[in-house]
Amino acid sequence: MNSDIAHVKQNFEKDLKKITSIEELNLLNIAYLGRKGRVNEVLLSIKDVPKEKRKIFGESVNTLKFFIQKSIDLKRGIILQKKDREHYIDPTLPGLPYPHGSLHIVTYAIEEISQIFERLGFIRMSYREVEWEYFSFESLNMPKDHPARDDFETFFIDFPPHKEYGKMVLTPHTSSGQVREMIRSKKPPIKMINIAKTYRPNWDATHVPMFHQFEGLCIDSGINITNLKGTIEYFARSFFGNNREIRLRPFHFQFTEPSFEVDVTCDICQGTGKVKNLKCKVCKSGWLELGGAGMVHPNVLREGRIDPKKYSGWAFGFGIERVFMMKQGLNVDDIRILYSGDIRFLEQF
Amino acid sequence: MNIKITYKWLLEYLDTNADPFEIQKYLSLCGPSVESVIKMGDDYVFDIEITSNRIDTASVYGIAQECYAILPQFKKKARLKIDPFKKYRLRYLDIRRKAPTPIIHLADKTLARRITAVALTHITIKPSPAYIQERLSLCDERPINNVVDISNYIRIAFGQPVHVFDLDRLGASGIAITKSVKNETITTLDGKKIILPGNDIIIKDVQGRLIDLAGIMGAQNSEVTDQTKNILLFVPSFNKKFVRRTSMLTGQRTPSVTYFEKGLDPERTETTLVYGTELLGTHAEATIASKVLDTYPQKAQKKNLSISFSNIQRDIGAPVGYKNIISILNRLNFKTSGTTNKIRVSPPSYRVDDISIQADIVEEIARIYGYHLIPSKVQQTALAEQPQDINNLLRMENKIKYLLKHLGLHEVYNYSMISKAQILALGLDVHAHLHIKNTISQEIEYLRTSLTSSLIQNIKDNQGKRKQLRFFEIANVYHPKKNDLPDEEKQLGLVTNTSYADIKGILEALCQECNITVSFQPTSQVPYLSHTTQAELLTPDGAIFGWIGQIAPSYQERHGLKDPLYLAGLTMKNLVSASQTVSTYQPINPYAIVKLDMTVPLIKKQPYDSVVKIIRATSKYITDIALLDTFENKITLRLSFERKDRNITEEEAKSELKKIIQALE
Repeated sequence: MNSDIAHVKQNFEKDLKKITSIEELNLLNIAYLGRKGRVNEVLLSIKDVPKEKRKIFGESVNTLKFFIQKSIDLKRGIILQKKDREHYIDPTLPGLPYPHGSLHIVTYAIEEISQIFERLGFIRMSYREVEWEYFSFESLNMPKDHPARDDFETFFIDFPPHKEYGKMVLTPHTSSGQVREMIRSKKPPIKMINIAKTYRPNWDATHVPMFHQFEGLCIDSGINITNLKGTIEYFARSFFGNNREIRLRPFHFQFTEPSFEVDVTCDICQGTGKVKNLKCKVCKSGWLELGGAGMVHPNVLREGRIDPKKYSGWAFGFGIERVFMMKQGLNVDDIRILYSGDIRFLEQF
Repeated sequence: MNIKITYKWLLEYLDTNADPFEIQKYLSLCGPSVESVIKMGDDYVFDIEITSNRIDTASVYGIAQECYAILPQFKKKARLKIDPFKKYRLRYLDIRRKAPTPIIHLADKTLARRITAVALTHITIKPSPAYIQERLSLCDERPINNVVDISNYIRIAFGQPVHVFDLDRLGASGIAITKSVKNETITTLDGKKIILPGNDIIIKDVQGRLIDLAGIMGAQNSEVTDQTKNILLFVPSFNKKFVRRTSMLTGQRTPSVTYFEKGLDPERTETTLVYGTELLGTHAEATIASKVLDTYPQKAQKKNLSISFSNIQRDIGAPVGYKNIISILNRLNFKTSGTTNKIRVSPPSYRVDDISIQADIVEEIARIYGYHLIPSKVQQTALAEQPQDINNLLRMENKIKYLLKHLGLHEVYNYSMISKAQILALGLDVHAHLHIKNTISQEIEYLRTSLTSSLIQNIKDNQGKRKQLRFFEIANVYHPKKNDLPDEEKQLGLVTNTSYADIKGILEALCQECNITVSFQPTSQVPYLSHTTQAELLTPDGAIFGWIGQIAPSYQERHGLKDPLYLAGLTMKNLVSASQTVSTYQPINPYAIVKLDMTVPLIKKQPYDSVVKIIRATSKYITDIALLDTFENKITLRLSFERKDRNITEEEAKSELKKIIQALE
């Protein structure tokens, strides 16, 4: 009986030597350790073993079983290792090519700005690009003789003027949406962010006749300067990063009172105004202008049918292109390239 | 506008322990923005931005006044050494009792708020003293001679432009301030011949010669020369509207214009004239030869406002003390009286135009107190609700943009305005486009009614830069309406130079992403698209939401395009209404699918679309039809057959296929 065990072991060792693949190894496993395998076959012969030797016989079969199991596991490791060594991929080779298009930088800027204000509960609106003078000027406390209203600052459309609202213009700022939003929403609170195309008759390396602005407008009872500061600071921190500071400077706009210009520290010179002891070329003494802001003028609230005795508000209007270039430190020396459609510019984003 | 002044000049009026950089910092925070301070020799030059409402600060003295109000907030000493408005008064001039008065006729009282002038004789023309030359040079004014230099010097000192005429080159019997007639001409000091638009303020002598384009520049015929002996020192306060209009229409942007167009305080002409007379006496030996002419048709008005202490605190949102408020207002030269419940405030003459409501007073207090000291608090307000349609449109727009980017397209932003040539090149009607009256270039003269011409231009501009060009744009187009603002319609436009199948595949991917079952219905309405390639995009309900096509060969040639290009356009609003946020779930059929291939010839009478229709109409077990291959007008299709009630057998499927082949024959 013990000779059977030795025989099986011998055969197994011989068979194992011939094995080169996992598939063969699996078959070998079944042939020896399967339900009808050689090991079980030997074990079945236990009934022919005298009773007193059965214990020893059983132990011997078990030893054989463990030996075969261990040998197969060992072989499995060797085969897999060999397979892995034979298999060669050059990880420095390029992968399959996938299409890679681009979005315009203004799209990225709009997306990010919208998200920041969405977190503060502002709704995104879009108002008319072709507007009546009334919404672009009169309703914003800009009288007929205001310099911004003449031919040199605004595009006028050849169209019969509206009896009430005056001439047709291409909106020179997103502020035209202020009174429209007041009229639409009827009652404060108003929390709006208006992102739109705006137009002015300038075309050179630093001006384009069409550009983008975003306008924040917040009207409710008890809104004051602290809220304007808080919101703009939140925006600046979210958009530019925690290391940038803002300041409000006194300024003048017809439709806000008080009016401010908002500055953010320059990222090129870290707000010092100097790069390697030379004057920073990007900013003015460490500060970059973000744009205008202020507390909504009572006359503007009245135009929007909101009682300035009950409600107050703030507004700001910033240029998208400008703000985005300030964020990225994009050194675009000619802003016209944004609207040139040049593939060599577009594909970089 | 920006002005330049020097630190030493400023110290003539201001006593302070603040250094130039402290002044820059503090002024920028609370007043005019000092954009730079540059050390030049032993002096410093400030470059200062002046806002249009504060033309009173566009001078050395104006900045000294701002310093006086602002610096004490930063614990800096500030004291005004003199008050020029008190020191330089007409009555202090030494004038002979019998002296004549210059004859200046103001034809129309709306032309000027005030005119002051005096004749000065026995002038010696020579270089001005070193300190004047030096300061002018630092402030970007080229020194010329004592008379010209002093006229520039007093403008920078007090912010009031003046003009000096050579008295001997004028007629003896005076000058007239009047309105021009269209096409009158004047040759200005700088030698430019200017044709006047008409209704400009001009000054003429008795012979009717134009001697000054008022508020802008004098004429060559009366300018001061090396031989000048006698002069008329002329200090006007012109109506800002006239000066600005003339300046913009003629393109003359002189330093003087930048002052007059903002509207100057008429009180200041007196101060400037007296100071100028004093300097010309000292540095040009000028003798006063006339009484001072002072025509003052529009006296400066006084203004009184009132505001309560509590409203000031509420609007600023910071605990500015009552005493501080009064001190700030007084330092700004505002007179105050009354009680905390009703503070009466009266601004000085040079602020009357600018201060008219309570918010103006709040602004003055808040800025001097310091915006940097006001706390920052994001407001807590109730919910503002976004209109659903706008929300849907914006979400769709963003989704589409990213899809197209990942399909390899490049997004462009084109101007909303196009040229007449672009409209004509597509055979469109120019009159169906809104026209810009005052455009600055023919390239941007009309508002586009489709994105197509811009997209064609994009391909043209990029020909040869990359082999494959695929662009898209999402933007408004403008359809004119009668008696109303145009319809602003948001469109998606696509263009490629690759192939028809490419752009069609993009549209199909787009529709799949938006869960729209699209069909392409051939049409032939658009002249600039090749006839057989045109199709409209339809929803299952038959609503049109877009179009596709290849440019017609004649239009390709007209546009100077080397290769054909492929165009598509979708209306965003219709796309949104056709779309579904999530696709409809189809229960999974547990039964077997049999797939069989077939090849059919593609003929004009029977395009792919009708082949598919026939197949679907013939067999109810068809679940999917896939195009495997196209080869020489033959197409190979793989048809999937399924039953909903049990497994379909191969024999069943084959007999279905037989029926289909018969139906197609």
